[in-house]
Amino acid sequence: MAPDYDVEFIDRGDRDREARFLVRDVSPAFANGIRRAMIADVPTLSIDEVRVIENSSVMFDEQIALRLGLVPLTTPDDYEIGETVTLALDVEGPGTAYSGDLVSTDDRVEPADKNVPIIDLKDPEGSETPQRLEVEADAVYDVGREHAKHQGGVAVGYRHLQTVEIVGDADEYGDDDPHILRGVIEEDGELIPTEEFDHDLTQRYPGKEVEVHDVPNAFVFHVETDGSMSVDELVTQAVDTIHGRASELKDAVQL
Amino acid sequence: MELRVIEKTDTELSIEIAGEDHTFMNVLKGALLESEGVEAATYDVNPEQSGGQTEPILTVKTQEDVDALDALEAGADRVMEKADDFRSAYEAA
Repeated sequence: MAPDYDVEFIDRGDRDREARFLVRDVSPAFANGIRRAMIADVPTLSIDEVRVIENSSVMFDEQIALRLGLVPLTTPDDYEIGETVTLALDVEGPGTAYSGDLVSTDDRVEPADKNVPIIDLKDPEGSETPQRLEVEADAVYDVGREHAKHQGGVAVGYRHLQTVEIVGDADEYGDDDPHILRGVIEEDGELIPTEEFDHDLTQRYPGKEVEVHDVPNAFVFHVETDGSMSVDELVTQAVDTIHGRASELKDAVQL
Repeated sequence: MELRVIEKTDTELSIEIAGEDHTFMNVLKGALLESEGVEAATYDVNPEQSGGQTEPILTVKTQEDVDALDALEAGADRVMEKADDFRSAYEAA
């Protein structure tokens, strides 16, 4: 009774950040384990400690630090939990400090998005110097369970794959209300995302009365990452965390 | 991962698995229920609202000819097998 999974991609979004794929013959427990692992157990780098050298902006140091923490950083996979990398930011007004202004000591670690505004720095009238933000920050490699800023997966979920059964003709003089369904349906072995018929079953099966059924043990995962890593890395690392814990349990039981 | 056996007979095992949450426990429970020789498997993360007990407690009941601890080990193996299979299926896609 060895598991025999089958993975099929439905769409791969742009920039490696988003993908939708179908997994067959997976138990709900395992599907949910993978989903949870993607959210909470795959570590990413995120700024955790900020040393403020100068902050003459209108916001408190703590607020700036929170914003810096929320900037997704690209994360190589050879870091250990708790390992840090130092970044620096030095921007003088007038102008906006962006995440792209962060300079890292490890050139594999950089902001995943360059255009996240940190703060707008002004050059106030009557002031001798413009506002300035200069900080040094340590990014820590940790898991989403510790803090949401370490979550690599930002929108991770699944739905059942569904089939549509035609059970008869629609009432001829009935209301022509739309029958909305979101997800992916399977029709004669073909996978059809509901976007193709505007999520409305009455457009695909006009004049028919239909019933929607879940396909057992077939789940359509939708995975979107914050840019710290690709979807492929997120999924494989999530599976690896589950594998790692099972082998840890096995070792502990054997002792 | 720290294990603490709470109750153990040949066919029954209650064990605390410290540091784990639903992510792993539910997968493990699911794998145990699929295994042969396992009659019942469940886990509880806050047993009877007991003061301070927050670590999950796994309970396994097996058929007479199967040792519960062996079943747990087999369950862990099964989870690893599932993980490997999922990974290779994903990479093949």
